[in-house]
Amino acid sequence: MTAEIDIRNVSKRFGSLTVLEDLSLKIPAHEFVVFLGPSGCGKSTLLRMIAGLESIDIGEIFINGEPIGHLPPGQRGVAMVFQSYALYPHMTVRQNMAFGLQNISVSSKVIAERVANAARMLEIGHLLDRKPGQLSGGQRQRVAIGRAVVKEPNAFLFDEPLSNLDAALRARTRVELAQLHQRLKSTMIFVTHDQMEAMTLADRIVVMNNKKIEQIGSPMDIYDRPATRFVAGFVGTPQMNFLNVTALATEPSGVRVECGALAVVAPFDAAAVGRATMLGIRAESVSVVRDGEGDIGATIDVLERLGDRSLVHARLADGQSVVANEAGQTRLKVGERIGLRFAGDKAHLFDADGVAFHVREAVS
Amino acid sequence: MSDVSPSPALRRGLGDHIILAAVLVLSVAMVAPVLWVIGLSLKDNAELMANPNSVFHPPYIIDNYIAIIGTSAVFRWIVNSLIVSVGLTFGTLVLASLAGYGFARLEFPGRQVLFVIVLFGLAVPEQAVLVARHQIFSILQFHNTYQGIILPGLSNAFGVFLMTQYFRAIPKELDEAALLDNASRFKIFWKVLLPLTLPAQATLGIFTFLGSWNDYFWPLISATRKEMYTLTVGMASVQSNFAQSEGVGFLMAQAVFAGLPIFIVYLFFQKYIVTAVSGAAVR
Repeated sequence: MTAEIDIRNVSKRFGSLTVLEDLSLKIPAHEFVVFLGPSGCGKSTLLRMIAGLESIDIGEIFINGEPIGHLPPGQRGVAMVFQSYALYPHMTVRQNMAFGLQNISVSSKVIAERVANAARMLEIGHLLDRKPGQLSGGQRQRVAIGRAVVKEPNAFLFDEPLSNLDAALRARTRVELAQLHQRLKSTMIFVTHDQMEAMTLADRIVVMNNKKIEQIGSPMDIYDRPATRFVAGFVGTPQMNFLNVTALATEPSGVRVECGALAVVAPFDAAAVGRATMLGIRAESVSVVRDGEGDIGATIDVLERLGDRSLVHARLADGQSVVANEAGQTRLKVGERIGLRFAGDKAHLFDADGVAFHVREAVS
Repeated sequence: MSDVSPSPALRRGLGDHIILAAVLVLSVAMVAPVLWVIGLSLKDNAELMANPNSVFHPPYIIDNYIAIIGTSAVFRWIVNSLIVSVGLTFGTLVLASLAGYGFARLEFPGRQVLFVIVLFGLAVPEQAVLVARHQIFSILQFHNTYQGIILPGLSNAFGVFLMTQYFRAIPKELDEAALLDNASRFKIFWKVLLPLTLPAQATLGIFTFLGSWNDYFWPLISATRKEMYTLTVGMASVQSNFAQSEGVGFLMAQAVFAGLPIFIVYLFFQKYIVTAVSGAAVR
């Protein structure tokens, strides 16, 4: 009960608008893949093409080696959980879960068994005789998952299923989805624009932007070694700091990068010299030190106290803004002069096209 | 100096009283003719001929109702009206639902143009097509038949429009979920979408039933034989008996009797009728 999904050179247009362009992706069996990207990047369209709810203009999608482009949605062996849950409002929870099985003439005994098992697993046994209108958002979400589970599909498709839940419930459901994947071991594809969901759930993240795939990788790969400036900026909270590069030079200890008064030396890929126009570094790699110390001086603009840490928004002398991370509850004050220390080996360089150059990984 | 203007609460109270008084006056204006008709129906025909004001004092008798049950054709007309109204309501619901689903959900060439043509039907008065329709029905020998009275009402542009809008308002994700649940097009229509349109069906059904029950114009033209009269036509035919041989009391008793089915419909479907009418007002 799992599927290897192979998307080959797929394109999709709506009238004159191209939504996906020559996109290829292989999803191995059992994998939990997250399509991550901003609104309008084509991630939901790709999911709907796998489900059969959108036609494939060019290319083909294979499930377990079989082309599925010609198959109707119900015969692709996939189940989908919609953002709006799409539960049938006039049917009880039990009827909602049984409907798909009744349509393929599964015996009522087997249907009852599967519904009971799924209800037990999702802890919705007490809700089976209620209608969706009598359920909370979280309960509806579980029923929608239950409706997918009873079909025992080869692959689960989730289209932003957590976006209608409040923050606490979303966090809880994330964990439960991860547990569900561990239990069922089915292939799961999850669409979201929330990078936190992507980072916590995915075996692999597919970052999409502007009709194409920007990067495919494990969550930490995406976070630590973003392939493009878009990925670097899209993944991570707060957003990565970007500073304009004013000079680049090769030195014995690495590449010297100057951003106005700031100079960082790190073992960057030498190919960056002459091409990089932007330096990127995450807030946790910038530390706050006393004024006069560190790599550069700055003035605090805004302080965000998050409890376990504080985000210090500081302005450099040339007007560029940098966010630094400080552990614990800070005693700093807005307007105070501070020094900033940059961990150069955690920085990234980007050329004018947004392509990233990373610090060379140490050979062990 | 003290402020002598009434407080907001007092003004609101005064406003409420004015509204209440207006409602009371209007209610009396609405109920009075009904009571008048019931009063007349309980009076002897000869007594009413001699003194129309005798309605205000006894004796009140039920002879007119006994006469209806014994002799009048009103039973037949009520049955005719029921057959026509129920048939028309059922047919309208089926056709308007199917057409509404088609316009709202199916992709086919000329869909928009066809929908506009249907909407144009709202603007065509019945009188404009009357002669042509009469001719066609004559050729088909549909006059003085139930289908002759029912068929024209089935082309209900308002019904198609209402159902189309209602189907459009149902999220498409439900169709998609059902597609993924292996449901056929018809099953999606029948099992998933149609049950969700029940409020619209109730609105359309009630309007159609009441409209058909009260319709006078087309049945008057199509039903020329007395035994095929609907209630409205039958009642009018008695009324135009200038000699008043059947009497005012008897006529009013027929009117009360004829109103009973619609009264029963109101009793049972009051909730839906109020919703339907208020919904129509908002729309």
